[in-house]
Amino acid sequence: MFSKLFLMWNATAAALLAHAAQAWACAVCLGDASDSAIDGYNASVLFLMSTPYLVVGSIVGGLVFTYRRARKRNEKTEAELIGHLEWNQEESSR
Amino acid sequence: MAKDATALKLDDVASVTPAKRVAFGGGPPTLPPVRPNAPIGSNAWLAMVMFLGAEAMFFAGLMGAFLVFRVGSPVWPPPFQPRLPAGVTGVNTLILLASAVTMRLAFLANRRGERTRLVNLLSWTAILGAAFLLIQGYEWARLLHFGLTVSSSVYGGLFYTLIGFHGAHVLGALAWLIVVWSKARQGKYTRRNAVGLQTCSMYWIFVVALWPVLYGLVYLY
Repeated sequence: MFSKLFLMWNATAAALLAHAAQAWACAVCLGDASDSAIDGYNASVLFLMSTPYLVVGSIVGGLVFTYRRARKRNEKTEAELIGHLEWNQEESSR
Repeated sequence: MAKDATALKLDDVASVTPAKRVAFGGGPPTLPPVRPNAPIGSNAWLAMVMFLGAEAMFFAGLMGAFLVFRVGSPVWPPPFQPRLPAGVTGVNTLILLASAVTMRLAFLANRRGERTRLVNLLSWTAILGAAFLLIQGYEWARLLHFGLTVSSSVYGGLFYTLIGFHGAHVLGALAWLIVVWSKARQGKYTRRNAVGLQTCSMYWIFVVALWPVLYGLVYLY
């Protein structure tokens, strides 16, 4: 039984190899280097590669800016409150 | 139970009158400290930032697909395909950019508590947005008449996909804006509670800021 399966497997593999067609290693390996489609893919890859950095950078930059603005506002409020501390002679002598 | 001092918001501290402020040697109780970990924005604001990041990546994918064909084609637009109306769309771009200005002014008007001005500026934003969509629709009808359809070529397919998705976003933003406008008329936004207005404003400015990029890529490049 095992030898029969082994034979069938080998025969199928041999048949497939005999009729093997040339195939590209990946879906976007098109033509030769001078093909204009290659330029298109390169431009697209570079654009899509840089976009996440741009998007995440914008989000992080926006968050840092908002945080600093909020902190500055907090400090301003604190300074305003401290600036109103005063000595009250009448109350301190009680 | 008394309100926990650390749970008090910054607004509560700022609203204390000078008469109640601390004085040495007695006087009224010490003011609660400014909460150090007060959030810099609402959860809705943060969610909108994340959503806009995802939207930016979605449009980046579409633009990447456009670049494959645009850069890869020796002749663009392909032969026997109508040219896009760059002039009229340029004017339309200005209309959309103006709507972002009115939206920002509306947001600032709400911060100053100017309700009438807020409603007026939101109305102008909606009118400008609707004008943009109407002009786009008219141009699309003309292009279809000239034979540029989704299935006519890769050029047509990419054009309607990219510009169509943006148009759908503007339409969605316009619907949201009308809801916000209606709420603003009812006085539901205050200086301190305007999350709906803020997130709508962010979304609107995103779709407006996206348009010049798409216009430059699809119409001018």
